[in-house]
Amino acid sequence: MTAILSWQTRRSRKGLRVLPIIEIATLIVAIAAPFVLSERLDLVTLATNVLILSMLAISFDLCWGLSGIMSFGQALFFGVAGYVIALVGRDLGFSHIWGTLPLALLSGFVLSGLLGAFLLLGRKTPTTIFVALGTLTGSYAAERLVSGWQYVGAGNGLSSIKLLQAGSYEFVEGRAFYFLALAILLLVYIAARILMRSQLGLVLAGMRQNEERLAFFGYRVQLFKALVFSVAGAVAGLAGALYSYHQGFIGPGNMGPGLSTTAVLYCLFGGTGTLIGPILGTIAVEVITYALADIDAIKSIWPVVLGLVLLGVVMFQPKGILGIFVSDRERVGSYGARPQDGA
Amino acid sequence: MTEPEAGESRAGGFSRLVIMDFGVKLAFDLLAFTSVMVLIVLGLGVVASMMGIFNFAHGEFVLLGAYTVFTFHESGLPIWAGIVAAPIVLAIFGALLERSIIRRFYAAPIIAMLGTYAIGLIIRETVRGLLGGHYKSIPEPLPGVFTVGDLDFSIWRTVIVVTTLVVIAASWLLLTRTSIGLQIRGSLENPALARSCGIATPRLYTLTFAFGSALAGLAGALIVPLYQLSADIGLRFLVQAFLSVMLGGVGTFEGPVLGATAVGATAAGLPWLVAPVLADPLVFIIALVIVKFRPQGFITQGRL
Amino acid sequence: MTSSKDERSTAGAPARGLSRRQLLTGASALSAAGWIAGTSGGWLLRPNWANAAGPIKMGIATDITGAIAPSGNANWQVAQFAVEQINQAGGVTGKPIELYLEDTASDPKVAVGNVRKLIQERKVDVVLGGITSAMRQAIKDPIVNRGRTLYIYPQLYEGQECTKHLYCTGPSPAQQCDELIPYIINKLGKKRFALPSANYVWPQLLNKYARKVIQANGGEVVFEEYYPLDQPEYSATIGKIKDGKVDCVFNTVIPPGLQPFVKQLYESGFQRNGGVLSCVYYDENLLNYHPAHEMEGLYSCLDYFQSVNDPFSTKLQEAYSKKFPDTKYLFTAGSAATGMYRGVKFYEAAVKETKGDLAREAVSAAMDKGKIADGPGGGAEMVPGKMHCKMNMYVAQCKVEGGKTRYDVISKANMVDPKEC
Repeated sequence: MTAILSWQTRRSRKGLRVLPIIEIATLIVAIAAPFVLSERLDLVTLATNVLILSMLAISFDLCWGLSGIMSFGQALFFGVAGYVIALVGRDLGFSHIWGTLPLALLSGFVLSGLLGAFLLLGRKTPTTIFVALGTLTGSYAAERLVSGWQYVGAGNGLSSIKLLQAGSYEFVEGRAFYFLALAILLLVYIAARILMRSQLGLVLAGMRQNEERLAFFGYRVQLFKALVFSVAGAVAGLAGALYSYHQGFIGPGNMGPGLSTTAVLYCLFGGTGTLIGPILGTIAVEVITYALADIDAIKSIWPVVLGLVLLGVVMFQPKGILGIFVSDRERVGSYGARPQDGA
Repeated sequence: MTEPEAGESRAGGFSRLVIMDFGVKLAFDLLAFTSVMVLIVLGLGVVASMMGIFNFAHGEFVLLGAYTVFTFHESGLPIWAGIVAAPIVLAIFGALLERSIIRRFYAAPIIAMLGTYAIGLIIRETVRGLLGGHYKSIPEPLPGVFTVGDLDFSIWRTVIVVTTLVVIAASWLLLTRTSIGLQIRGSLENPALARSCGIATPRLYTLTFAFGSALAGLAGALIVPLYQLSADIGLRFLVQAFLSVMLGGVGTFEGPVLGATAVGATAAGLPWLVAPVLADPLVFIIALVIVKFRPQGFITQGRL
Repeated sequence: MTSSKDERSTAGAPARGLSRRQLLTGASALSAAGWIAGTSGGWLLRPNWANAAGPIKMGIATDITGAIAPSGNANWQVAQFAVEQINQAGGVTGKPIELYLEDTASDPKVAVGNVRKLIQERKVDVVLGGITSAMRQAIKDPIVNRGRTLYIYPQLYEGQECTKHLYCTGPSPAQQCDELIPYIINKLGKKRFALPSANYVWPQLLNKYARKVIQANGGEVVFEEYYPLDQPEYSATIGKIKDGKVDCVFNTVIPPGLQPFVKQLYESGFQRNGGVLSCVYYDENLLNYHPAHEMEGLYSCLDYFQSVNDPFSTKLQEAYSKKFPDTKYLFTAGSAATGMYRGVKFYEAAVKETKGDLAREAVSAAMDKGKIADGPGGGAEMVPGKMHCKMNMYVAQCKVEGGKTRYDVISKANMVDPKEC
């Protein structure tokens, strides 16, 4: 443990930044993947799902890693957006990409804006526990509501979703959809990076360090939190729409606490506070799950192992896999000039 | 009394009697369902009050209680024995868990939520593996109904209600009449002050956590003959339990009980007023709104 | 894609079976029976003479785990049984049938991903499966549209499934209700109906049809209500049943909400006071879901009951019991098992008709006019252009003896028209 830490400090003193290396490596693998896997359509489908789910994990990271909002309900925005575009496809016959993806962003943003306002704003500052439970309840109540609502298919969910269209081209599972998902993930990633490096990002960093102090400086902390929560909700919504189009199915389970807590798991596993961490976490969990489904003896043990690993991460290494390679300074992002030494 | 008169009074009295019947029946069914919630929420509440953490794995303790009964049943032992054993097993399990893992989380409630979520995941998936993904039925130890006048009451549900009342009464006596009860109440209201008075809080915490776990185990053991056993039964109660604790107020013994009663009654009663499919999410939304505007809950003492 | 890896596994199958832990009894039983764990989670059954002319790949997508597991396990055991009989007789046009299994886990969300494996990874020629209509709706798109594969749905359902290349081998509402409801109203004299239902498509559409039949025969629907699938409390419902003086509960609640409902209904004394419980998916397998006394006296109408004793059905049951001795998953009609048998036989007949051509269009065209002479409860005949088949229907009542259920057949209707599409 100490060996790793001193290695990290030595590295950061030298000014070597590991994060960009990891990011670029992941990008290269991501671009190459569908070509390497060209024979196995099912693996390309898996890879596309991983990209989409990592967007959900990033949306959680925006809440927790960047702003300190523990949200157990990100799947709510994921699922609702998925339902919205499925309904638009079913009732209006519309599935063009230039309309539906912005619609997904919007629905995610509005819904999370409303929930965020309800939970975070108000005369009394809410406790973190209240926000966590509030998001959990929102996700759960939505799942129950949708399970009973006939118009959206109730427990059946919605299937045979109209395929995503760009002009006259229809996206089905395969390389085209993969690259679409990759492109969108990249856009989200870059946008989030810009956010982190901006003045707003600086405020968020202050919030992470010490909320009270920042409030004393005159910043309306809760308002910033609500704003970030809305942005994260938009990202989750976008992911939900892509998921819906890709799977061809959306159900109540896609907006409930099950998926919400899975997003938390992905993010913690990979490492919060960086944006690449959630992506790596999602890749690791999903790929290993898929591979282990092969070996029947392990198949039922894997979720237990996952739980144990997660427990370990929470107890001993709260920084996830990434924490092994990347120092703290890089994790939460740096602002302005490079550090001189130590400090 | 001549025939027609008897017939008239019978006809007139029939609808009144029928309504009274429903009132009683409704009250009884609400009571039965709420009793289970009370047991679960009490365990969660005392832990939340005293240690300030919300145990995400609490639902899984309920599951383990049910699973203990199932194991007894599968091995051919009487179900009664399983129901008695469940709280004991869970108390031991809870105590061990608290000593080894849970106590590391007291400093940071959010980490506690994540950590206990992980523990819950481990327990749930282990049970799922052991059950092979199937749903299992366990027969009631006392099946059937007993009749009072015109009404039938399920024997087992009556047992649940009686057991809950006994447990609550016993806990109440423990808290108010014993010295350890006094220590617990002190720690519930103001842990820092209790510590500075020399009360050995670590041991008390272990005891409380074990108590909370035992209650959850008992609840699981009691309900499993009514609802089936599957790996996901714990999750069903979790959100409701959390809200009940927040609603009732953290820091007292009565708070969680009151919260559970309120939520349980609403959950069982709303389907009479609105369509059942709407009632389900409505309970949670109402509870959440109330908690938002009265964050300290119904009964306000202690922190959070 | 198959080749070396799977051959290695075939060779190793018995050893794997012996080294599995007792805990995973399901897995060891599968290996002992000759199943091979496929890549990414499914199971594959390949007969020993998996040789030349390319096998026929049949995919089974059913609920091995979850709330509907007892029915799911019944119908894949029957699939194994039926396919084994065919392979032992030399396969279809000389080609063996390879069975691939994917667990749909009673969860449409999970099912979509697993079924996709059958299509994309296994490239099966036909998929049989789905039990609840929710499941069918979820998986039919990946199979029929995106996957362009033939799909046979084996379970009783609500009708109105007229998708091309999707064949239904289970009873339709017309086949079930047209016999059962008039019997209840006319012969049993029960006219006041309650329709407690699970909230999804099957009860909704079935109830619409049932309501028509009820009213046409002079009965009355007192109330019709929908509950979440896992609803545990039914006191409000029982109250309405008593209040409305309902004398027949036409139940479409399914597991996991089924067990508490039936228990609470029984405890309220409904049957004791002369009420009739009726449910069209109830068969001998329901003993896996709840105790026998709660279903005593229940009326059901299905394409087969074990007490139907024509020679073919009797021989079939004997052979099934020999292959799966002491199994708790019985060969019954409400669990999609008879529909699965029928589906496999229809497919076999269709491929014989196309002389081994497995292309979807060809097989579908042949299946459209398919006929099978024998089956559990009798043969079946596809109605051309309608994707549904005629079959014998039996009305029966559940009697309990020594903790076991026995469905006594009351009436039989021959080759009832499904009246669909």
